[in-house]
Amino acid sequence: MLFNSLTFVVFFVLVLSAYWTMRSWTARKNLLLVASYIFYGAWNPPFALLLFATSALDFYLGARIAAADDPRARRAWMITSVTVNLSSLGFFKYGNFLLTNFEWTLSKYGVAYHAPQFDVFLPIGISFYTFHSLSYTLDVYRKVCQPTKSLRDFTLAVSFFPQLVAGPIVRAADFLPQLVTAPGLKRGQFYWGLLLMTLGMFEKIVLADTMLADTADTIFGYGGPLQALDAWAGVLAFSGQIFFDFAGYSTCAIGAALCLGFHLKDNFRFPYAAVGFSDFWRRWHISLSTFLRDFLYIPLGGNRSGPVRAAINLMIVMFIGGLWHGAAWTFVVWGLIHGVLLVIERLVKAVTKDAAWTEAFMTRLLMGLFTYAAVCFAWVFFRANDFSTAARIVAAMAGQIPHGVGAALLPTLSLWKVGVVIAGLLLAHRALRDTSIEAVVTRMPRWLVTALWTLMLGAIILTQGNGHAFIYFQF
Amino acid sequence: MPSSTSNFDFVRPVPDLPWRGLLLAVTLLTAVAAVAWEIRVRAWGYVPTYTDDSDLWADRRGKVKPDSIVIIGDSRALFDSDLNTLEQGLGQRPVQLALVASCAYPILENLANDESFHGTVISSLLPMIWLAPPPSPPYQKSVRALHRYRNRTLAQRSSHFIGLWLEGQLAFLNDDDLTLEALLNHLPVPNRAAAQIPPPGPPYFFNMDLDRRSWMIDQAVHPGKLQDRVKYGWPPLFTPPPPPSYVPKEAFLAGVGKAIEARFGDTAAAVKKIRARGGKVVFVRYPFNGPLKEIEDKATPRAGPWSRILKESGAPGIYFEDYPELAGFICPEWSHLSAPDSVEFTKRLVPHLKQALATP
Repeated sequence: MLFNSLTFVVFFVLVLSAYWTMRSWTARKNLLLVASYIFYGAWNPPFALLLFATSALDFYLGARIAAADDPRARRAWMITSVTVNLSSLGFFKYGNFLLTNFEWTLSKYGVAYHAPQFDVFLPIGISFYTFHSLSYTLDVYRKVCQPTKSLRDFTLAVSFFPQLVAGPIVRAADFLPQLVTAPGLKRGQFYWGLLLMTLGMFEKIVLADTMLADTADTIFGYGGPLQALDAWAGVLAFSGQIFFDFAGYSTCAIGAALCLGFHLKDNFRFPYAAVGFSDFWRRWHISLSTFLRDFLYIPLGGNRSGPVRAAINLMIVMFIGGLWHGAAWTFVVWGLIHGVLLVIERLVKAVTKDAAWTEAFMTRLLMGLFTYAAVCFAWVFFRANDFSTAARIVAAMAGQIPHGVGAALLPTLSLWKVGVVIAGLLLAHRALRDTSIEAVVTRMPRWLVTALWTLMLGAIILTQGNGHAFIYFQF
Repeated sequence: MPSSTSNFDFVRPVPDLPWRGLLLAVTLLTAVAAVAWEIRVRAWGYVPTYTDDSDLWADRRGKVKPDSIVIIGDSRALFDSDLNTLEQGLGQRPVQLALVASCAYPILENLANDESFHGTVISSLLPMIWLAPPPSPPYQKSVRALHRYRNRTLAQRSSHFIGLWLEGQLAFLNDDDLTLEALLNHLPVPNRAAAQIPPPGPPYFFNMDLDRRSWMIDQAVHPGKLQDRVKYGWPPLFTPPPPPSYVPKEAFLAGVGKAIEARFGDTAAAVKKIRARGGKVVFVRYPFNGPLKEIEDKATPRAGPWSRILKESGAPGIYFEDYPELAGFICPEWSHLSAPDSVEFTKRLVPHLKQALATP
């Protein structure tokens, strides 16, 4: 079920009404669990069984880890959880990718082998709920949280519908404690949740789908050389589209959870105002970057074993981070570009040693613009279906057009839409860089909050929504 | 160690505002704006109509029974076929599966591959788009509709169901003209001289019911601004786009030629599959006139694709110009009949259909 669908509007109204009518906390949790499985099963009912199986297995393994006294047994149970979760993810998401690469490798040795293709659907949101579930056994193993005794609570923590299919990746250790006692609503919490949901829908339906998606699709779907202006417009459009799409989903999720009395952490903090790449990753998809930091980077040794080992660890993490997004080498290259940028940034910092000039306004402004430009460069590989498309677009962005003839594909109106929206996005991120949306709204005059909320709602209604799926659903 | 049974210490801040009053004000303002907009668009002549999207098409495809009469093809089959008249004449209400600006071959193929189907297919044959190769937009339109039919989720079905109710009430939910995107497209922003922009599709000029019966609206039937926008929009849409600059022209044309050649064979094979199960297929060339006729006749003369498809498939065909009672209709915007004319045309078409379908 998509947030930007009429089904969800009806579903959410019904769930909210029933939820706040019930007095028993147990009944409310049961309701949320059933609602979450309906939310998921409305896409493809049989895959709800896979979701349950993943949850039930990790519930069992979490208990085994906690009960084991022998460190080797604890470790064995933890490895079992990691292996089973990643195998399931690997089968559904990476099966054909692995086979294709296997075939390619054999062909290099003169062996013509054609493996049968798996004809399997990718369960929606499998990367997210696998990480939700896996975070539990890993945190129990790390003794960051104690295991829950309630299978119902755990399955609800994994499947809680606001964050189920496209994040944020809410760790069981952050969610299970909220299931202990019935949440109360702070003054204004419910309404603030509704406003956040409106903002998230506006970002997705109006800004991502209506203002930017066509431009990005046109440019990345074209098979020939492009004019530099069109290539840049396409890439900038995608940079905005993916932010509004994914941040919009996260904002909706946070808002929906607030309406139900739950508190989810931020997943985005104005990332296009980042100065430097480590700053970017503290602001972009925070729940994934902290997951990879805690469960991969630090266990690999982090930066405890010298700068060379830290650089290798960073590259491994970004390689995995790229692959997590999709079963294609273009995603891997996207991750590796970020890895290289992070390593270079560390080198530069080691050389400059926080010199005063690095904190000057102009330096930071230029660094911020450079960061955004480099992030956009990396987006080319994220969005392109293959390397030849990526190479064409990068060449066009650099003004390298074969025979000097590149296609001008975009209507002037599209260029204006991209220009206005991206300029607004960058200015807004810059202005909000060191604050929060809550602080800004608190300071805003009431008439302005009313006007903006009404405008967003009006634009959503006017756009009518065309049921575009969220980009991150495919991950 | 923090535990799953302890209280979570993270609490999201909530701005301190008079929220109830704010929500009330937002609700009232939005409702007033929506009502005002609805009144305004109705004054402009818009009425509630159903969006001709893949969901509505998939609903109809789901209604096809093994012995159904099915109409496929382009917008001419959609506008010019009156379902009530066909029901009276043929004894069974046809299922309308024609799609605006679509190549119907994938749908014919879908019916041919449906082993249970042994009904009747009435297909509009407009050669320029029947022969459109993949992945051209007309071909992809049918592919997308079929994909929706095969892969609709429960959530998509229920959203469509709720959406239909809203579309039946509100004129401003007009998908062709009144979405934010369509309104922005009305801004007078000239394009760059060298820009390769595909010609725009026609504006809103027909209404549709749940059976997908379509009627041209009055403003398009009578001479005026809307009719001009529609009819002068056809020539660019019926002019094949130039070959892409990044592929050698000869190679591109050879590829297209190969795809077109394959389409003749594939069409014949699909027709034969349906006929082998006892089904029937009849091709119809619906009326068109004005400058559009010159363009189509020049690009695809009757002796070309039309005759070849009939010959190779063995299916009967009804070409409107062959029969005086079908030839005299005037399409107000050169391509489709007005609603009253479509009823009359269908009445006159029925005997020819019966005769064609009686042919073994």
